[in-house]
Amino acid sequence: VSPDVRARKGRRPPFLAVDATGALHIVGTLVAYLSAATLVPAAAAVGYGEPFWPFLAAGAIAAAIGGAVALATRGEHHRLGIREGFLVVSLTWLAAAALGALPYIFSGDPQLSRPLDAYFEGMSGFTTTGGSIVAHVEALPRSIALWRQFTQWVGGIGIIVLALAVLPRLRVGGRQLLEHEMPGPEIETLSTRIRDTARRVWILYIGLTAALFGILLALGLSGADDEMTPFQALAHALTTIPTAGFSTKADSIESFAPVTQWVIVLFMILGGINFALMYRAIVRRQPRAAARDEEFRLYAVLLALGALVVVTEIWSENVLPAGEAFRAGVFTAVSTMTTTGFSVADYNAWPTLALMTIVGLMFVGGSAGSTTGSVKVVRHLLVGKLLRREIDQTLHPELVLPVRLNRRVVEERTLRAVSSFVLLYIGIFVIGASTLAIDAARTGLDLSVLDAVSVSASMLSNVGPAFGIGGPLGSFEPFSDFSTVVMTGLMWLGRLEIVPIVVLLSRHYWRNI
Amino acid sequence: VKIFVIGAGHVGSTIVQALHEEHDLTVFDLDEERLAAISQRYDVRTVEGNGASRRVLSEAGVTDADLLIACTSRDESNIVSAMISKACSARTTTVVRTTNPEYLEVWREGQLDVDFIVSSEVETAYAISRTIGVPAARQTDVFAEGQVQMVEFDVPEAADASLFGSTLRDARFPPDSRVAAIIRGDKVVIPRGNESIKPGDRIVVIGSPQAAQAWGQLIAPGTGKVRDVVIFGAGRAGTAVARLLLEQGIGVRLIEASRERSRVVAAELPGARVYHATGFDPDFLERERIADAQVAVFAMRDDMKNHFAAALAKVHGARFTVAIVHDTPSVEVFEHSGIDVTVNPRQITAEEIVRFAHDPRTQQVVMLEGDRFEILDITTRPGSEYIGLRFKEMPIRGAVIGAIVRNGEAVFPRSDDVLQTGDRVIVFTESQRVPEVEKAL
Repeated sequence: VSPDVRARKGRRPPFLAVDATGALHIVGTLVAYLSAATLVPAAAAVGYGEPFWPFLAAGAIAAAIGGAVALATRGEHHRLGIREGFLVVSLTWLAAAALGALPYIFSGDPQLSRPLDAYFEGMSGFTTTGGSIVAHVEALPRSIALWRQFTQWVGGIGIIVLALAVLPRLRVGGRQLLEHEMPGPEIETLSTRIRDTARRVWILYIGLTAALFGILLALGLSGADDEMTPFQALAHALTTIPTAGFSTKADSIESFAPVTQWVIVLFMILGGINFALMYRAIVRRQPRAAARDEEFRLYAVLLALGALVVVTEIWSENVLPAGEAFRAGVFTAVSTMTTTGFSVADYNAWPTLALMTIVGLMFVGGSAGSTTGSVKVVRHLLVGKLLRREIDQTLHPELVLPVRLNRRVVEERTLRAVSSFVLLYIGIFVIGASTLAIDAARTGLDLSVLDAVSVSASMLSNVGPAFGIGGPLGSFEPFSDFSTVVMTGLMWLGRLEIVPIVVLLSRHYWRNI
Repeated sequence: VKIFVIGAGHVGSTIVQALHEEHDLTVFDLDEERLAAISQRYDVRTVEGNGASRRVLSEAGVTDADLLIACTSRDESNIVSAMISKACSARTTTVVRTTNPEYLEVWREGQLDVDFIVSSEVETAYAISRTIGVPAARQTDVFAEGQVQMVEFDVPEAADASLFGSTLRDARFPPDSRVAAIIRGDKVVIPRGNESIKPGDRIVVIGSPQAAQAWGQLIAPGTGKVRDVVIFGAGRAGTAVARLLLEQGIGVRLIEASRERSRVVAAELPGARVYHATGFDPDFLERERIADAQVAVFAMRDDMKNHFAAALAKVHGARFTVAIVHDTPSVEVFEHSGIDVTVNPRQITAEEIVRFAHDPRTQQVVMLEGDRFEILDITTRPGSEYIGLRFKEMPIRGAVIGAIVRNGEAVFPRSDDVLQTGDRVIVFTESQRVPEVEKAL
């Protein structure tokens, strides 16, 4: 019997079945550590001669609140398990979005001064969505713009992965926490210790960001791309690897040179690959083994297919000349499927089939264990295999057909979880789309069916831009407050892959009886 | 040769039966009655005691033994016996029977200090897969790394008409093959060229694998290459058969009654289609068109279940049924109810093990009709009276040379060919003549 269990012996059973105090303690600690992130834009503000106090104030408030919560809830015998993990991740992301919002509010910038708008922007940042309330990005102070980018970079790898690699105290129950954070049905561990795995993923993430920054900087300095200043290179390196999509340019990637756009396409594709797989291919030099991965193969096929359809459509409909159509088509398909949300063209005017394909790609996502959102390729793969099995078993009910992924048999529980996830995903997408459509009708906002569908899909999948007013060159500012809340919720649900949040709605999560 | 046989069960007694005349046997068992039964029938020494005990083995004089055969039904006990005997006496060759193919794997990798391992499951699987290769055969075996195949057929009325009528000398049989024996009722005919095949005969053919297939076509016209096999029972035996057939590109359906086991096997064999069902459900058999399979293999652990399922499959129209039969007396019951081929794992295991006891020149022995006949793979010794003789001049003494292996190549001798020193010959003979044949060659 562990000392913790012994210590609880003879005590009155707690009111809640979940150790909310223990969960809050971790959330508080995480927020307190996360507040240090504000030092980065603060330093930039000093460098640019802009006011730095909004960041320091935000950091101080977050540190104070987080610290106070952690202090008030500290104790010897927290019971941290899978149950508490759900509460921790759900609350941490809500809190992180708030931390993201504070500097916007304090900066007093007219585009972001309303708390709800600022919170939307904060959520869009930490969830790596990239949909923005800001209509004129270039009008923002550089330090605020950089904070937007930086929240996406931090959010991309996941606050908890960061915490696991940095905070040794979270080792208990760390695996469950990581499972909610690292998207996908199964995490692939790179080492026996979860902390080492987190650290390796983190190093790869930093490495890729640095590589992209170096390439973009070189493009700018060599004169290959006049628009690519060191500031732009940093800003876009920070939001490409997490497949996030905030840009510091009003027209996103459009004004950059074609070569820059291709580089970004490449790094968006990399960001959509399973990091554990990439680690194996790059660091351990086993590219062949990685290339045999079923999910990776389907990811590549779907990317190619999506790009092919979009390119063919816009080229044959004479929307753009051939060369440009190819670049814009590939870029848009990759950006949408990897849930990044950068754009090089306003696709609102594109033909219907191209738009349908783009909405379809929003539901695909990248690989499990990557920074992308959405359903993710592996789940599509498993659902496909599951359907094939169901059809086979309709005729042969006695047939025992294990579903395999990379030759390993997938547990039935995992398959159930995957199929119910996909159903939940579709359900929440439908609820989101109808709520937005109804609210738009109420407030008289001009929102077509395709617009409402695309906004709901884009938010839930953490893509960012949608069609219509929320299109690549637009902003989400015209939406009503209620719709903004709905969209913020969709981003939150999408990033945490729904289940950890929906679980909280169950009575038996909180109480034993 | 001094041989210790540990275990006097089915395998042990089959081994004793095959070896007692030529060798000096000591049989160990814990069961007094089994030993009594053995010592009543054969002239062998019996020791009541645990063959995996060092005291028992050394008191019996294990250091004098040339060969130790551990063939109880318990794998671990067999391995311990062999390892103890190796430790006591390094010169003793050890042969271990196992039912677990994993031990075979470990042994192949050199991690088990045993000279030879014989796995009943794997040997049974090979026997069944050979039978499936020539579906008309009652029994078949291969020699010389698969270059020579022996097949035993029952010749039905429906066989190809070209088989009947003409003498062996004139008939146009598949090339590279030879009829080694015709069994007609209780009589055995070692055929000369003027003999001919009649319906109802049982014949033994030795030839190339292609010729064996061609013979299969003659005996049962219209049977093509097998692509669809149903196996009832996914235990170790059934799984081993399935694995072997899948490796040969044959489609396999497995029927397993235990849910847990069917899951495990489905995970293990990606190529097979595994059903969780019993083979006794007529609806299931009908719905899945089980009887349409070219071959149905019955590999359940219980003879009676195999028998019932096989009979039921026959009722549904199964064309060719192969059953694993564990008890020797069951064989007749199976054959009586029309099951085409029976395979007895203990018999096969005993056969494999007996090979180690033969003259070192003898590489392989196959027993036919219980142990009435044997087929030997033996290397001629220099100075044999047969060397230099043409095949047509050889005196017939109840033995037939079906094939020779010269410099690693199989040669199917014509009557003018000459036997040379160092030839390996595949020879068919009656069991009681084996020592004589070995001496003569």
